[in-house]
Amino acid sequence: MATQYIYKRDATRLFIAISETGKKFNIYLPVESNPIINNVELPITIINGCISSYCFKWNNKRYTCIVKSKEQNKYTILVNGVEYKFSIESISSYLRRKLLSTEESAKIQNVLRAPIPGKVIDIYVSEGDLINANEPVINIESMKMQNEYALPVNGIVRKIYVQRGQSVMKDDVLIEIDSIDE
Amino acid sequence: MEKRLLIANRGEIAIRIIRTAKKLGFTCIVFQSDKDTDAYYLKFADEIITANDAHNETSIFLNIPKIIELAQEHQIGYIHPGYGFLSENPDFAQACIDHQMVFIGPSPELIRNMGLKTIAKEFAQKAGLPLIQGSEGVVNSIEQAQIIAEKIGYPILLKASAGGGGRGMRIVEKPEALERNFNSAQKEAITAFGNGDLFIEKYISQPKHIEFQILGDKYGNIIHLGERECSLQRKHQKMIEEAPSPALTPEKREKMGQLAVQFAKTIGYYSAGTIEFLLDGNGDYYFMEMNTRIQVEHPITELITGIDLIEWQLKIAMDEPLTIKQEDIKLNGWAIECRVNAEDAQNRFAPESGFIESVYFPTSDTIRIETGIEQGSVVNTNFDSMLAKIIVHDTDRALAIEKMLKALNYTQIIGIKTTIPFYKKVLQHNDFILGNYTTKWIEENYKPDILYDDEEEIIGALTASIVYALDYLKLASNTPSYTNDDLSIWVLNKRINK
Repeated sequence: MATQYIYKRDATRLFIAISETGKKFNIYLPVESNPIINNVELPITIINGCISSYCFKWNNKRYTCIVKSKEQNKYTILVNGVEYKFSIESISSYLRRKLLSTEESAKIQNVLRAPIPGKVIDIYVSEGDLINANEPVINIESMKMQNEYALPVNGIVRKIYVQRGQSVMKDDVLIEIDSIDE
Repeated sequence: MEKRLLIANRGEIAIRIIRTAKKLGFTCIVFQSDKDTDAYYLKFADEIITANDAHNETSIFLNIPKIIELAQEHQIGYIHPGYGFLSENPDFAQACIDHQMVFIGPSPELIRNMGLKTIAKEFAQKAGLPLIQGSEGVVNSIEQAQIIAEKIGYPILLKASAGGGGRGMRIVEKPEALERNFNSAQKEAITAFGNGDLFIEKYISQPKHIEFQILGDKYGNIIHLGERECSLQRKHQKMIEEAPSPALTPEKREKMGQLAVQFAKTIGYYSAGTIEFLLDGNGDYYFMEMNTRIQVEHPITELITGIDLIEWQLKIAMDEPLTIKQEDIKLNGWAIECRVNAEDAQNRFAPESGFIESVYFPTSDTIRIETGIEQGSVVNTNFDSMLAKIIVHDTDRALAIEKMLKALNYTQIIGIKTTIPFYKKVLQHNDFILGNYTTKWIEENYKPDILYDDEEEIIGALTASIVYALDYLKLASNTPSYTNDDLSIWVLNKRINK
């Protein structure tokens, strides 16, 4: 499935746009596919040759975007003449800001624990990778059955506590992630 | 002999008039105002007169003695006032005549009479046109106003006799509010027009603005060219107009057209003119006023009738008889006009000013563009905010709406915000599609977030992210900035990846 492993686990390509009204968009700019916005690959293509503007085509509609102003990470964009304002953050600046806010830092840490005892067959991610909510990150075999496990949140892999081939007990910490969800 | 025509106006209408006047063999002359020195219309004129109005409070376009003086100096034989400015100023028309110039329009007396709404109504009554109940003439005191208001019933409308554009106008819902509104309307009218005369009429709710285009010559031949519906207004300024009106049946159109002609005959009108009616929710209509000039929205009538109104204005002024008969007028298809204003529809239509970085309008046989701007134009607040008009024509209303949407989508004006995004929303609104909109529609439906669109917001977030990524990359690697030619997310991301 196209969206299954789409992040290719490169956190530097993810940007977080927060609109004036507080709406959050996770914007992933991939190497060779369409942009992935809030985990969905959208068929947005660039129209080249636009002068002093960024032009896109999406569902047969044309969008002309002009950067009206930018100040630090705050951008005002005119989309077909209508103004939208965003503050943009890279994933590192976003997590840093969240960690600094005591209110939100509690929501960041997410840990995947072994639900049953078993043996680690495969780990699909590396530290620093981006993961999608409910996308399998680890495969554990117990009683001759292989099971894939995922986290319920989007985030970045902070630390992997286990290795391939290692035996784990129930409730052992396997993977820790920093959530990028609200 | 050379026919030298001075167009005492600017912007798109100057260009529009020049287009037809040149065909009729006129040498076209315009003013260059210091308040708008690089204006686009200047490029279309045969000659330009420098106005030297930099230090004057008002521009040349409002300065009667100066216009007359310069016109004489440049051997002008004809003056076209366009719309706005001095187009309905009887003193200007008279000054032209007094100095042996032909004023393109009706007589000063007609302009004066139609400008005074109480007199216009007397004529309308004489011609048998339905009138909104109200005071017969000027109301001199609050006591008199109270008596009349009781008679016709609230809500009532207080209107300045010399008014226009909503100034000196008040809706009074109940008797307690009458005195306060009477005083403030009077004060406003004195400030705006130097004349505090007020009259009263019954206030019509859910009104539609329907106007009939008239052409008359100096020999008593008068025809009408159907109606325009101009109900989509904001603060009495029209924004979208269409012809014909979706609210009229053929029978009503014929009857109202006949009445318009009857009215024009009663007053002995000649030149192009417009008779405005108010149509209420019950389908009853009332005479409102007559405009004695060419109107901004005249092209929609031209598109459905195939008649050049400016041509006839000029011919009639040169004493030619009207050769078109009423039975020659066939209304063909549907036309819509959108006025492209330099206004921020996300900010309660605040005027925008600035530099037009680029402008593109789509063109086709059935899309007519009347523009007063080009790339590099400076939009300032010395003049009104209308930059251009987009006018489309098609076989029926649904197709015309579709075509207008397409035209608006393809139009690009970069540098300032315009009313185009707002029109796109209006044209897709069910009320507009069904033709169920009144002069109150914008007031009742406008919210600053009316323009908000989910998909546009996503594209905006994407763009902001790309720009951020480019900025971030520039800082990080000190690579030269990208041009738009190689703006490709994919290329960009390969670079980010380094």
